[in-house]
Amino acid sequence: MASKRISKELQDLQKDPPTSCSAGPAGDDLFHWQATIMGPGDSPYSGGVFFVTIHFPPDYPFKPPKVQFQTKVYHPNINSQGSICLDILKEQWSPALTISKVLLSICSLLTDPNPDDPLVPEIAHIYKTDRSRYEETAREWTRKYAMG
Amino acid sequence: MSDDHGDSEYMEEGSEAGYDSEGGYSSGDGFGGYSGDEAEASSPMAKSNKKTFVVLDREELRDRLKGAVAQVVDLLCISDAEATRALRFYKWDLGKLQEEWFTDPDAVRTKVGLVDEQPGTRRAEETCKICFESYAVADMAAARCKHYYCKDCWRGYVHNAVQSGPSCLDLRCPDPECKAAVPRSVIMATADEQHKQRYEEFAVNSFVDDQRQIAWCPAPDCQNAALSLSDRLGVAQDIFCRCGAAFCFNCKEEAHRPVDCETVRQWMIKNSAESENLNWILANTKPCPKCTRPIEKNQGCMHMTCSQCKHEFCWLCTGPWAEHGERTGGFYNCNRFKKAVEKGEVDEQEQKRQHARQSLERYMHYWQRWAENDSSRKKALQQVDKFRNEQAEILGERTATPTSQLKFVTDAWMQVVHCRRILKWTYSIAYYTFEESAGASKEQRDRMAQHQEFFEFNQGQAEHYLEKLHHKVEKDLSKFLKGKPAPDADGEPSGSGEGGAAEEASSSGAGGSGAGGSGDQAAWNTFREQLIGLTDVTRLHFEKLVNEFEKGLDAALKEYDAPMEDAVSVAAKAGVAADAEATAAAAAAAAKGKAAAAAAPSRRVTRSSKRRQGGPGDDEATAMEEAAGFWQCRHCTFANQDMDATDCDVCGQPRRGAAR
Repeated sequence: MASKRISKELQDLQKDPPTSCSAGPAGDDLFHWQATIMGPGDSPYSGGVFFVTIHFPPDYPFKPPKVQFQTKVYHPNINSQGSICLDILKEQWSPALTISKVLLSICSLLTDPNPDDPLVPEIAHIYKTDRSRYEETAREWTRKYAMG
Repeated sequence: MSDDHGDSEYMEEGSEAGYDSEGGYSSGDGFGGYSGDEAEASSPMAKSNKKTFVVLDREELRDRLKGAVAQVVDLLCISDAEATRALRFYKWDLGKLQEEWFTDPDAVRTKVGLVDEQPGTRRAEETCKICFESYAVADMAAARCKHYYCKDCWRGYVHNAVQSGPSCLDLRCPDPECKAAVPRSVIMATADEQHKQRYEEFAVNSFVDDQRQIAWCPAPDCQNAALSLSDRLGVAQDIFCRCGAAFCFNCKEEAHRPVDCETVRQWMIKNSAESENLNWILANTKPCPKCTRPIEKNQGCMHMTCSQCKHEFCWLCTGPWAEHGERTGGFYNCNRFKKAVEKGEVDEQEQKRQHARQSLERYMHYWQRWAENDSSRKKALQQVDKFRNEQAEILGERTATPTSQLKFVTDAWMQVVHCRRILKWTYSIAYYTFEESAGASKEQRDRMAQHQEFFEFNQGQAEHYLEKLHHKVEKDLSKFLKGKPAPDADGEPSGSGEGGAAEEASSSGAGGSGAGGSGDQAAWNTFREQLIGLTDVTRLHFEKLVNEFEKGLDAALKEYDAPMEDAVSVAAKAGVAADAEATAAAAAAAAKGKAAAAAAPSRRVTRSSKRRQGGPGDDEATAMEEAAGFWQCRHCTFANQDMDATDCDVCGQPRRGAAR
């Protein structure tokens, strides 16, 4: 069931790739993917290319995939380990969701952080109190880690 | 949350307490044949009062659940599945659901996830939104939202939800945008047996867990729940489960009325903290006070007879049993704690040491009595089993009584079990209530002493009757089991202050053995009557005791004192029954204060101290009786209303001093 569904998703991604991201198996293992996300133009992450690893559990799609940033990101909902705090990757997961939808959700999370449910409280605090400082640091990290 | 429904909580507390709380429960496992009524009738409080709880097994719970759902279906005109969902959402509170539904049905529908039935697809095939394969619509399923998924995907979705716990009861359509509730029918059509079963279990568990009026029986392996009919939730309520367990509805500890839940909690914590110190007490033997041979207590009653030197003593205080009767004036006084009074000069260090020792001794005193009664209770519980499984048949044959008519023996045993438990908990009250605080004024101390005297008298009385009942059902019964009643059987309190049923039983037995079979029958009949009477009296006495202690000592004392003072002063002034009118008024006052049997012994406590100071004698006692409008049997404490009777109405014992 799981591998069939993952192959289907892969076919769909190749047939109709989303504009700002790409994804596919990292090697021979169909359950281990690598994806890239382009920093959204209207965010301080613009111009950066972010690498993300995706692990599918054996009972996918009934359990959510594990998604982690490999590239360092300065963001209230993404910590230094690359873990992402996103509801659809946890309790709000539904088997009707796909990797393509997950990646799109991550893109919109980059544009609109959710500081009220932060994974990194310090960044959330700066985001809420000093927006320009947050944007500056995020841009700097993007330049440093997500370009070239 | 899972289907362990609170077992773990109970066991945790039990083991913390350092005593084998399961022991009592597990020995009750053999009670499988108990019918509900029997179980509830055997609870000491249920006989006279109306039912305060109902025990429900899983099947009955399911029926109740169905009933509640059916009611909502009728009332709100919604489907079965929707009604279940809505009720669960509102924690099975029909009133609240009804109120909100009739205020704003749409808001309720949205909250609960009830959507209008959508038109089904017209196509023959649909793509499953989970595995992206096409299937014939006939092989797919959908909630009312008509988002179709193939049965395999449904199964995966449902199984995953069931595995993650009772939240599967709130399962919604897999579509992230859709909030439609997944009806039970879809789950039943797609899941495998094992998961279906778990889903149904969760449904019943939710029915119990989410409702304040229903609680699981905490006994291990017991699947029953109790529905409380009490309108006062949040206070201690004793529940007697069909499995034999007795527990408190509020705190799930063992049943502990008249003690409140908080005191029990403290006491259990204290027990676990002190258990290290007290381990040595757990030793099961005590040396015989006379010949010092070690003695193991292998039966429940406190009356011990050394198998070697035949010395009779009390297990609790190791004092001679002969001093434990009424005639010797001592009453049953080994429930009292006498603090060693130290005089003379003692340095500060010594004082501290003594204080520490005293407080430990004090705790030990109460703990020991608590634990002894607990183990007596457990042994009695085993006896109930033994009687049911083995002895009943033998006894039936020996006494030519159908076993169906031997229930009174089981009742007596169950009464012993219940009373032992109540008595046990009174020691924890005593420990906390009569703790001397350093800064107490003389007045406070006096009042506490008065309370303590009152309390210990009542406790002692209760203990006294319980010992009597325990003795009768254990020792006296064994004579009938052995074959023919032996008049000089050992273990008989020969010439002790008992003066009671035991002697009566053996004397009539003695007459009977000469006369042959019919005499045996007479002895048996006497025994039966006495045991039934004694069970009743003991039950009443403990029932009262629980109510009194729950009211608080101040209130109870006042209630006893006021009418008695009136009655006595009136009787004294007017002379015995000289002024009929005044006596009648006093009697009315007394009756108003307390009209029941068990009240009487407590009344005597305030009198007894006066009597000791050279106060009223038998004459005045008779005057008091007449003023009160009843006389109390000195044998079984029954309050006889017939003032001219010469024998007790319940136990048939002569009324002493009646000739006067």
